[in-house]
Amino acid sequence: MTATLHRLDRKLANTPPASAKTKGKPLISLKGVGLTFGSNEVLRDIDVEIGEGEFVCVIGPSGCGKTTLLRILSGLIQASRGTVSYRGKEQREPASDIAIVFQDYANALLPWRTASQNVSLALEAAGMPRAERRDRIAELLSKVGLSKHADKFPSEMSGGMQQRLQIARCLAQNPSVILMDEPFGALDAMTRQKLQDEILSIVSESNVTAFFVTHDLEEAIYLGDRVIALEPNPGRIAELIDVPLARPRNQLTTREEPEFLALRRKLFDFVLRYE
Amino acid sequence: MTSRANLAWLLASLLVTIAVVFFWQWIANTGYVSRVFLPGPDRAFAALMRDYNSGKLFTEMGETVLRMVVGWLVASIVGIALGAAIGISPLARTWIAPTLELIRPLPASAIAPVAIVFLGMTDNMILLLVAFGSVWPMLLTTIHGFSNVHPRLDEVARVMRLNTFERVYKIALPAAMPDILGGLRLGLTIALILAVVGEMITVQGGLGSRILLAARAFRAPDIFAGVIMLGLIGLVTNVALTALERRLLRWQPAPAH
Amino acid sequence: MKALKGFALPILLLILWQVSALAVGIHSDTLAAPVEIAAAFAAGISNGSILRATVMTLTAAAGGLAVGAGLGVAAGFLFGLLPPLSRLARITVEVLRPVPAVAILPIALLVFGFGYPMEISIIAFACFFPVLLLTESAIRQISPRLMEVARVMRLTSVQRTFKIVFPAVLPRLFVAMRLAAGVALIVSVTVEIAANPQGLGYNLMLAGQSLRPADMFAILFWIGLIGWTLNWALMRTERKLFPFHSLRRGEE
Repeated sequence: MTATLHRLDRKLANTPPASAKTKGKPLISLKGVGLTFGSNEVLRDIDVEIGEGEFVCVIGPSGCGKTTLLRILSGLIQASRGTVSYRGKEQREPASDIAIVFQDYANALLPWRTASQNVSLALEAAGMPRAERRDRIAELLSKVGLSKHADKFPSEMSGGMQQRLQIARCLAQNPSVILMDEPFGALDAMTRQKLQDEILSIVSESNVTAFFVTHDLEEAIYLGDRVIALEPNPGRIAELIDVPLARPRNQLTTREEPEFLALRRKLFDFVLRYE
Repeated sequence: MTSRANLAWLLASLLVTIAVVFFWQWIANTGYVSRVFLPGPDRAFAALMRDYNSGKLFTEMGETVLRMVVGWLVASIVGIALGAAIGISPLARTWIAPTLELIRPLPASAIAPVAIVFLGMTDNMILLLVAFGSVWPMLLTTIHGFSNVHPRLDEVARVMRLNTFERVYKIALPAAMPDILGGLRLGLTIALILAVVGEMITVQGGLGSRILLAARAFRAPDIFAGVIMLGLIGLVTNVALTALERRLLRWQPAPAH
Repeated sequence: MKALKGFALPILLLILWQVSALAVGIHSDTLAAPVEIAAAFAAGISNGSILRATVMTLTAAAGGLAVGAGLGVAAGFLFGLLPPLSRLARITVEVLRPVPAVAILPIALLVFGFGYPMEISIIAFACFFPVLLLTESAIRQISPRLMEVARVMRLTSVQRTFKIVFPAVLPRLFVAMRLAAGVALIVSVTVEIAANPQGLGYNLMLAGQSLRPADMFAILFWIGLIGWTLNWALMRTERKLFPFHSLRRGEE
């Protein structure tokens, strides 16, 4: 297996070697993280550091523990081994400036609250006075293009709109880190591309750190500064790949660049081995 | 379907109802069914008007409605509070919920004799009967609602670091609301039935006593008048609760048709 | 383990009840200790009085269920397959439906006097409307796709009814029957308590009024057991017959 990877690496001579380290001081660092549920080992020996403002994508065949890794990072579940630290402190509970965009937006939004009330929830949780909330909500909704739908209930919105709303609610937390769990997996191709670009511009504007789980290899390359490839049974890091593509990225030209295509080929071969 | 077409259907359906009333009158007039059993709508209406003029109508109706509503309110408060407590706590669910499931299939009216033994043929006995009977749907639907909050919402609450009060008040309660409202509605239906049963057993006044006494005296028009009033109570309370439900559950997607 | 924990509370309560009865040593007209109740229950079973009353109550419940649910299913099919008919009958149904079944009791009493026909007619009335509405909505909820398949295959309306509609509504129909069976049992006991001098309800009332608390609680326990068993058996049958039906998911 390692041999195959080395062969692939030689093909990608123009790709600089990637590492688990990040430049500068890491914001999040995982050391020897593992998780076992009963007799089922889900994750093993995850070592990775994520720097401030970095966009890290995670790919891997189904069952490799991508989502579990995200949950450990968020503090929703605890690792059975190793340490997860955020800003140098051990992560035990969800931190107030880490937001999560769940894949199943329909379940993650409060169906009894309108779009603006859903955004308001995060502001209420942060203890923002009612008077200040209104302007902030309007600002956030306009950022994701939902200004006209402020008074709609989630059930009255399309899937793309609901996911935009969830993103707006996460931004209301004023996060330093956004964790995204296959956020666009259930959306159609056109909506997905639009939202990819929106997420990129939001991330670059606010300099947040992004951790993005996806099963779409091209999406991972298109969005990420780095891609973590996980292999399954138990979930381990197979490879860390730097994405040497210039920003801002473009749906047409970026996807045609030779580096993009080479990376795509490399990741495809990687995933195919587990089919 | 346009609203105009809907209105037309509603009118047509009203005409059918009126036709049914006329048919009832016709049957009663032909005398196929003994007048002792089946008074026409004219005689039932006359009995209603007589009681209306004497003021008896609203007194009796008021007694029944009061018993139904008070018993139901007590049951609602107890049922929702207890149901929320049990629904939220997995510990309480493991230890207490099975006992409740054991008691649930017991017909509520079956505790009437027990209540009579303790409280006698009194007003309080009827209230206890109504409250005991209607607490079950409330309790069980509330438990169901609170224990079936989608796990994702729980995670959202954790990620946003909501405190316990906020979690109950902003997440669990609204999420359980459809179930709770269903319980309230079912509870109210049962409350009316048990108020009537209680009145029939104890003869403590109210519409239940009245129709049973009327039956013993073979005064059929009085029975029908009482049944019409009871139907009216059921109808009005049901419509009111449906309106409340619509208002509170506006956010639910319209049922697909 | 979990099931065992569920039984802990009732057993604890029973023991507490028994111990406090022994400690206080009351021989009251209102309460009886669990042991006395068990003895009364055993006596009732062995002399046949409880079983005779049970047969009476269940006969009435089954009769009322058969009549009420039968008519309800028939009307539900009619309304479900012919929407205009349902729309025309809507107000009439909505006006009659909220009439509490026990309100019919005096009328039934007047017409039939005491006995089975009176009880059965009330039970039938109570079962009719829920079954009607559930059957109608079951038919409405058949996927339009299935109906289109039927049309594409050019099934006749008889074929459509028996090959598509009936199998598709069967699981929901069973649920309607299960609910109606519960209603039938409740109404039968209620009618017996309120008026009809036969069956378990009447025996329960009689035991209470003649100050035999042990008998009273024994019958109460027995009625609860019947209700619980009926519900359990029907649920189990439902799960056996329609294991893959999406209904339960839909109810959540």
